[in-house]
Amino acid sequence: MDFLLPHILNGLALGLLFALIALGFTLIVGVMEVINLAHGSLFAFGAYVAMVIIAEGHGEGISALSWYYELPLWTRYLSALVIAPIVVALLGFGLEFCLRRTYGKKKEYGLLLTFGAALVIEESIRLVWGSAEQTLTVPSAISGAFIAGDMIYSIYRIYAALFAAAAIGLVWLFLEKTPYGAMVKAGAHDGEMVRALGINLSRLQLLIFGLGSALAALAGIILTPIWGLRPHVGVDVVIPAFLIVVLGGIGSFWGAVIGGLLVGMTVAMTGAFASDWSIMSMYLLLIVVLTLRARGLFGKKTALES
Amino acid sequence: MLNAPGKARMVTPQMAAFFALLFSYPLWSNSVGLYDYLGLEIAIFILYALGFNLLLGYAGLPSFGHGAFLGIGAYAYGLSQIHIAQSLPLGLLAAVIASAAAGGFVALFLAHRRGIYFALLTIAFGQVFWFTAMKWHSVTGGEDGLLNVLRPRTALMSLDLSSNVTLYYLVAAIVAVSTLLLWRFVHSPFGAAIQAVRMNETRARFVGYRVWFLKWCVFTLSAAIAGFAGGLFCLTQESAYPDVMSLHASGLVVMMTLIGGGFVSFWGPVVGVIVYFLARDLLGAHTDAWLLWYGLLFMGVMLFEPEGIAGAWGRLVRHFSSGAPTAAETHREPAA
Amino acid sequence: MTGTALFKADNLHKRFGDRIVLEDVSLAFSGEGVHGIMGPNGAGKSTCFNVLTGMFPPDRGRITFAGDDITGLPAEQILEKGISRSFQIMTLFDEFTVLENVLVALPGVRKRIGRIFYDMRADTALTDEAAATLAMVGLAGREKIRASDLPYGERRALEIAVALASSPRLLFLDEPTQGLGSDGRARLGDLIAQLKDRFSIVVIEHDMAFLFRLADRVSVIHWGQVIAEGTPAELSENEWVRASDLSKAS
Repeated sequence: MDFLLPHILNGLALGLLFALIALGFTLIVGVMEVINLAHGSLFAFGAYVAMVIIAEGHGEGISALSWYYELPLWTRYLSALVIAPIVVALLGFGLEFCLRRTYGKKKEYGLLLTFGAALVIEESIRLVWGSAEQTLTVPSAISGAFIAGDMIYSIYRIYAALFAAAAIGLVWLFLEKTPYGAMVKAGAHDGEMVRALGINLSRLQLLIFGLGSALAALAGIILTPIWGLRPHVGVDVVIPAFLIVVLGGIGSFWGAVIGGLLVGMTVAMTGAFASDWSIMSMYLLLIVVLTLRARGLFGKKTALES
Repeated sequence: MLNAPGKARMVTPQMAAFFALLFSYPLWSNSVGLYDYLGLEIAIFILYALGFNLLLGYAGLPSFGHGAFLGIGAYAYGLSQIHIAQSLPLGLLAAVIASAAAGGFVALFLAHRRGIYFALLTIAFGQVFWFTAMKWHSVTGGEDGLLNVLRPRTALMSLDLSSNVTLYYLVAAIVAVSTLLLWRFVHSPFGAAIQAVRMNETRARFVGYRVWFLKWCVFTLSAAIAGFAGGLFCLTQESAYPDVMSLHASGLVVMMTLIGGGFVSFWGPVVGVIVYFLARDLLGAHTDAWLLWYGLLFMGVMLFEPEGIAGAWGRLVRHFSSGAPTAAETHREPAA
Repeated sequence: MTGTALFKADNLHKRFGDRIVLEDVSLAFSGEGVHGIMGPNGAGKSTCFNVLTGMFPPDRGRITFAGDDITGLPAEQILEKGISRSFQIMTLFDEFTVLENVLVALPGVRKRIGRIFYDMRADTALTDEAAATLAMVGLAGREKIRASDLPYGERRALEIAVALASSPRLLFLDEPTQGLGSDGRARLGDLIAQLKDRFSIVVIEHDMAFLFRLADRVSVIHWGQVIAEGTPAELSENEWVRASDLSKAS
């Protein structure tokens, strides 16, 4: 057990991060029944925007902003946490605007369109920032490591896991305690009901797509210091997000969280014993779960099946 | 609708044009700035995409992991050449058997799935195969792949396959025969049945079709064709590597098929493959960001012309042939 | 009459989650003429139909057809036995032509599914058979039109033609008047009257007047149970039928 404990902790932390990745994805799929395959690219775009905002080697050339880049690192980091998601949300608005043409058609069209959007965003990133691996500088307060017992713990990983847990909690509060959340939940079950309640459905959809995109960006900022940043990081993000949401059951908030934890635990455990195959384990997990439970752990029937 | 009403003609104008283009390519390609090897790539991918469209266009099953079967075919071809004997028929047979077996196995998990569950499971299986190819160094050669899979010296009729032109004619002949077979296939009762399943699965069951079995068959067949194309691919480039199995590569064949108009025409994938490779070479010569433009083209097609180039062409033809809507080869599909 | 019934359902139960939709339903169709099933919307008659035709299996109970137990058989095997059905919500192959809709449903095409070089559209024996089926429902001359381009009334007729393509011994029609005006209903009534010479027919309908004119026997389903059964004449005297909301439904 002593031997397993660090792996379990690692799995829990990783699971929270996976759940964070899936948050925006599950929100969009639940309300709009759109599989947003651009989720990973929005994640990457958010991280790149944050990189520029934090600077350390980017963007200082612009003299009009030199006062800004003299601010302390933590100020710039905090502004990145606020500004980058907003920028990405604007991009999400644009994407939702395109998607409107596919509403009422077969569900595959939305998936295909966002697939194209993913490629476009990824290639745009490559054009602007190049293909090389990048990093995101974080304030010293949340970097470094400490030793407890025989183990070395990365402070950033603990920060990231706590951040993920807080984000999950905030989204849950948003869903449970705000009137918007009530609308979202109504929409998650029945688009007709939203209309019947007299809510402006298209505004709700725009808002949710923006929020989902902002959450993708936030996940990007938090995860990049751990996973690194490359233009094609999006694929490594969107597929786990998609997988977690289906694993947990489409339209189920807690399903996505539990799905994330399950994937994190599986990947961490496999990583501990056969590190080459750790990523593959999540696909096998999905295949097993879907074979046993057709709609995932907490899934209900949705229009996405036909 | 993918099939023209009335009889399935053995040769249509589209088919004649395709064959003329296919077999004359080496005669004019150099003078317009193209090269023989490009023809090989295009011909092989046409076979791959035509087989893929059985699944996407005819059966309405969007697979996002089809590259896996192209890759399995390529590896099977390469491994048979390295470990058993240098022989073209052996290699292609190995490619088809391996990919059909893999496809048949995967289809057991997929044949009763629909919509996004189907799509996600194809991604998951595709990723599993891709990871296996990347990590199973002792067999697949890892990220570098299998190298030096030499073209067999004297294959059929002692052809010198080291010449790209000779190889091209061999591949073109194989692709032409396969295209004819596929053309017959989609016009056979099986072709009609899988389209019936796409249009209305419930009704297809109630007029007596075993929907699960039909889907299993079409998935396996489509995988086998991808593997066959993969074998030819390995023959041509003398190597097999995992790149073609990635999600990115699998996505590209979906995009090619749809840009060409696989939803509405048998020939859509052919057009889509040609457009893709020309864009890669012609746009790619001018800009590193050619995929950005290709992605935008795909988004534009999905937004404004979901029937792709074939759909737009069909409408143009109908516009100029003053009515007679049922006579056109391609048909407008309602929002489906 | 139970001894000679062509189709017999005994004690069927079906529930979805905690909602009981069928509670101990027993039905028998003699195989002669038209047997009607009626009841108000939500009475369970559609579910009953779906269970009888193999859309989903009953939770309990037994269904026999021509002496064979067909309980829980998949739809395509029930069809093989000689039972075919139409649907309340239109289920056509929309992108096929009218002719192709029937062709693809012909046993002669289905049996040749393994033949890659067989062209069903060029086989005049089959196209004639399909055309004859279409003529039976009044769609002669409409063969080349796409199913989705047909006007609504003709789509309803095609819905029946596709079900007829397998030459069933027993034909189930699910709310065939759905969405039809009075003209359409009259024509459909004539069509069913003609078909009943050649096929045994079971019709679900909530239009009581329509059903009473056509049917030889009628079963009334309400609250997931058969509450009455008999000839139209007997039923119009029945207290249950009078007392329930059925008369309002028509």
